[in-house]
Amino acid sequence: MALSIGCAIVALAGCGSGGTSSAGGSAGTSNNSASAGTPVKGGDLVFANPQDAKSLDQANVFDNNSIWIIEQITQPLFIVTANGKGVQPLLATSYTISKDGKTYTIKLRQGVKFSTGAPMTSADVKFTLEQTMAASAGWGYIDAAIKSVDAPDPDTVVLNLKYAWAPMLADLALFANGIVPNNYGGKSHDAFYQAPVGTGPFKWDYWHKGSALKLVKNTDYWEPGKPYLNSVTWTYVPNDNTRELQVKSGQAQIDQYPSWSTVSALKTTPGVTLSLFPSTETTYLGFNENVKPFQDVHVRRAISYAIDRTALVKAVLFGNGQPANSIFPPQVPFYDSSSGGLQYNPTQAKAELAKSSVPHGFTTTLQVPSGNSDYSTISTIIQSELKPLGINVQVQQVDANVAHNNVQAEKYDMAFSIWTMDIPDPDELATFALDPKAGSKSFFTSYNNPAVVKAVHDAELTTVSSARQTDYNTAQSLSAQDAFLAFLYYSPYQYVEASNVHGFNVTPLGNYHMEDVWLSSS
Amino acid sequence: MGRMSFVFQRLALLVPTAIGVTIITFFMVHLIPGDPAVTVLGQHANPSTVALLHHQWGLDKPLAEQYWLFIDRLVHGDLGQSLYYTVPVWGLITGRLPATLWLLCYAAVIAIVISVPLAVLAASRKDAVRDHVVRVVPLLGLGLPAFWFGLILQTWLGTKLRLFPVTGYGQGFIGHVHTMFLPSLTVAIALCPVLIRSLRASMLNVLGADFITTARAKGVPAPRLLVRHVLRNAVIPAVTVLGINIGYLIGGTLIVEQVFAVPGIGSLMISGILQRDFSVVQGVALVFGVLVVLVNLLTDVAYAALDPRVRFGR
Repeated sequence: MALSIGCAIVALAGCGSGGTSSAGGSAGTSNNSASAGTPVKGGDLVFANPQDAKSLDQANVFDNNSIWIIEQITQPLFIVTANGKGVQPLLATSYTISKDGKTYTIKLRQGVKFSTGAPMTSADVKFTLEQTMAASAGWGYIDAAIKSVDAPDPDTVVLNLKYAWAPMLADLALFANGIVPNNYGGKSHDAFYQAPVGTGPFKWDYWHKGSALKLVKNTDYWEPGKPYLNSVTWTYVPNDNTRELQVKSGQAQIDQYPSWSTVSALKTTPGVTLSLFPSTETTYLGFNENVKPFQDVHVRRAISYAIDRTALVKAVLFGNGQPANSIFPPQVPFYDSSSGGLQYNPTQAKAELAKSSVPHGFTTTLQVPSGNSDYSTISTIIQSELKPLGINVQVQQVDANVAHNNVQAEKYDMAFSIWTMDIPDPDELATFALDPKAGSKSFFTSYNNPAVVKAVHDAELTTVSSARQTDYNTAQSLSAQDAFLAFLYYSPYQYVEASNVHGFNVTPLGNYHMEDVWLSSS
Repeated sequence: MGRMSFVFQRLALLVPTAIGVTIITFFMVHLIPGDPAVTVLGQHANPSTVALLHHQWGLDKPLAEQYWLFIDRLVHGDLGQSLYYTVPVWGLITGRLPATLWLLCYAAVIAIVISVPLAVLAASRKDAVRDHVVRVVPLLGLGLPAFWFGLILQTWLGTKLRLFPVTGYGQGFIGHVHTMFLPSLTVAIALCPVLIRSLRASMLNVLGADFITTARAKGVPAPRLLVRHVLRNAVIPAVTVLGINIGYLIGGTLIVEQVFAVPGIGSLMISGILQRDFSVVQGVALVFGVLVVLVNLLTDVAYAALDPRVRFGR
């Protein structure tokens, strides 16, 4: 999931929901120009990652590095398209939706086997979905619309919903709904997730916790000719310099998240390729509306106008991002580029503050998780930009976990948050960010605009794309005018690859498909 | 007192030392703000799930009771479960202890290989140019931060010349020797200056002794004199210096392991701290404490083996 309040750990993708069943681009298909040429079989690829996986229990894990590994082992019925805006069948081949929108009949792909050699059937799908639905402390809520799952024959699954639910197929494309063997193949839940089994391109080898996790080629994989690699290993290397040196020296092939300060140098470094993949990661500044004077829309608007987003992108991302202008990032379906998210305008900022309850300024605090250099940089810039308005910002450096707790308890004045998506539908982001009654109290700001809340929920109940667009346009423009958050910037995912890596692509949701990746000899 | 009873007495001292280490680390770890449940569940965790995990881990109990439970388990040979990975801490540590021991032993060997000839060189002609060079240049090693010096070695010997792997532990004996060279050298460079200086000083001391004059008068050749007569006597104080500094360097492995991605207990400690994995931090601190005591014990035993005049006693 996606909200990472006051903490640079991006993690968690959000869950969207939504969408219609339209297929978008071709999921998992490489569009990397470096992938030109005939794929070569063989080779072992090593990732150098700044974070270790936490757990492979797909229904209960929330951190991205675990999720992206799980996705190489288990596969859902539907998959996010390469552009991140739609879904297409993966272990399913086709589906029909009843007129009332409450019954989904899904046909399964023939010839799909688990890495144990056992065929995948509807009993496995039923078991999987029921496990995820029951994960009340995990991703159970994503399947909350499902009443029951039937398996009338081995190749057919029927989902009976409690209500028509537009985001259903997008929800099914979540990794937490990746198909596992019925009854965990006879193992206990805990034993199964020590070495999970799925239908994906790679299968379990080992996990030396805190250092490396290795998967090897699944020779029973259903896509002809894939995967190309013999193995993929994710190593945990917290030090930025060390990861970079590993790729340069050939010990690793992919460095996840090189430091932004090194990105421009890496663009011209021989032997490596720097890739910036469009993402759904958005950074916001939140205002706690339980605290004076942030109930005042003019105060929020004044601050939002006073922030030079281009300067932030330059300072934090070294120019590799773009100013945000909506609660939604551009890679999310129904994003509206003309929703009017406030941008830098010092004159307007003064005018708004003059109209507010504190025309001559005030003193407030900005909570920053300590040890996070990006947030420190942003807070210094914001502090200096608000000073001319008479707004005296005191930056409070707080331990990351404490900062998180403070935000959840709404004990702060201003704080940062980050969101990324997991599912190609804006529903979850919209619900968590805009509905104060949903789990996270409008990103813990207590922002409440009934017209926005209504638009968000209307969009869940219709599958008519144009109607949803209208609802989401309303939600985006009203929330932008209310300036309940200052939308700061959109940042891409940065990866460094050795130049012999081909076909590595990251979707805007952060997922990648290792079955498409191959290594050339040079 | 006999050698064995001395060793046993020193081993018995391990118990109070270990208890001291557990008290300090247990309470210091709990002083760090932060919540392991939030680290595990993610920033979006809802309070009831967090509370459930606290209960499962016993974190909702009073600190003193938590400490008592920790000691109780420890006495039964159980360091507890890692909160982050939910596997036994002892398993995590034993899986990674070999890399750290390799690093320490290899570093000690490299430090000796570098220091002894240089000290002999310097002591063989006091106040000559070579003496000054040997006394001054290695001092740089004291001032070089390990993370910086390690990076320089990685960049030049690893990526540019490709003589050594830049990171890791390697496989098999030869693999370890090859892969662990750069991190061990980084640790050794910090160790050399004190070692060279103490060795040189004590060699000069011995060189002035009457028995050396006698040996010289008897016509013992200079190289033999230096190695057989001077070095063996001079090495005793140096062993103490080495022992004390290895104890000190055990702490230094935290940074070196991080820079070179060595899968040892130093990097386990760092990730444990970052993940608020209390039981891992406590377990590793305990192992570090025991290691320091053991190294000191070995130093004392080696001291006696080198010098028969040393008797074991209080």
